[in-house]
Amino acid sequence: MSSYTGGRAGLTGAERTIEADSWRIGETTLTSRFFLGTGLFPNPYVQMEAIEASGAEVLTFAIRRVNLDAAEDDSILQHLQGHSFIYLPNTSGARTADEAVRIARLSRASGLSDWIKVEISANERTLLPDPIETLKATEILVKEGFTVLPYISDDPVICKRLEEAGAAAVMPGAAPIGTGLGLLNPYNIGLIVEESTVPVIVDAGLGTASDVTKAMELGVSGVLMNTPVAKSKDPVRMAEAMKHAITAGRLAYLSGRMAKKRYASASSGLDSFKLQ
Amino acid sequence: MELIINGSLRELEAENLAEVVGLLGLTGKPVAAEADGQIVSSEEWKQMAVRPGMRIELVHFVGGG
Repeated sequence: MSSYTGGRAGLTGAERTIEADSWRIGETTLTSRFFLGTGLFPNPYVQMEAIEASGAEVLTFAIRRVNLDAAEDDSILQHLQGHSFIYLPNTSGARTADEAVRIARLSRASGLSDWIKVEISANERTLLPDPIETLKATEILVKEGFTVLPYISDDPVICKRLEEAGAAAVMPGAAPIGTGLGLLNPYNIGLIVEESTVPVIVDAGLGTASDVTKAMELGVSGVLMNTPVAKSKDPVRMAEAMKHAITAGRLAYLSGRMAKKRYASASSGLDSFKLQ
Repeated sequence: MELIINGSLRELEAENLAEVVGLLGLTGKPVAAEADGQIVSSEEWKQMAVRPGMRIELVHFVGGG
């Protein structure tokens, strides 16, 4: 039953569902559920192609000192001129709330965005977020009028606390940053989705398209990825794969999956009509 | 005068932050600045007088996730 032909030519019912399935972060309406990171790509050309293939509307960045000995080593922003993206800078490198707040203020002073991904890691080996410092920074930055999207552990309790502190979304990790291990605790991500009144974005640790689909099937609003796209052998194609994976998982979530059963049940009707 | 820019000592002849940014070839680029721990928006760079020994940080957006 996929032969919807009314309405806009060339669009299937599923495509129309996805097109109408917009969502919001703060005051901003988004259509894409893909937040794409901008690090680690082999070169700016591949990166631009991958951004295009991803359909992402939100791009993440880090804030670093300008290299004064190579000012020509220009930021990726020059390649993005003429496009309209929402910039989501992060506070990576911060180990405390104070450091994150400083980076956020500097970022806003650039005039490019008042969105900020709070990312505070004290442990170099795991880069896992420090939940206490993250909550402190979120409280301060919300009061200063930032749109705050904290990267946080997959813990429903801290996610709720961040929401209460005014976070515009919560971004629990699937696994540690850059590991590609996929969803380590789908149960917790599911609980976070159930309890959250702000969008939930799975950030970090995803590895491939099936990880993304599984995350979306849990009902998260979006995913944030960088390494699995940038470090694949073909980042442009992988960006497209991830886009389809998001769509697949989202449609499956909206459709409501069948209940799991322990034993087989035939799909061809009653026993009484079987040939004897 | 000697200024500490992004952690390194630099000898620059400038009166204000806008001139510092200009001498470093960064005018018009999306750069954010901090002078002695205080964030200075780009509209205020001209009014921000620089003093010998001032610690200036100049940052920008780079690739990241």
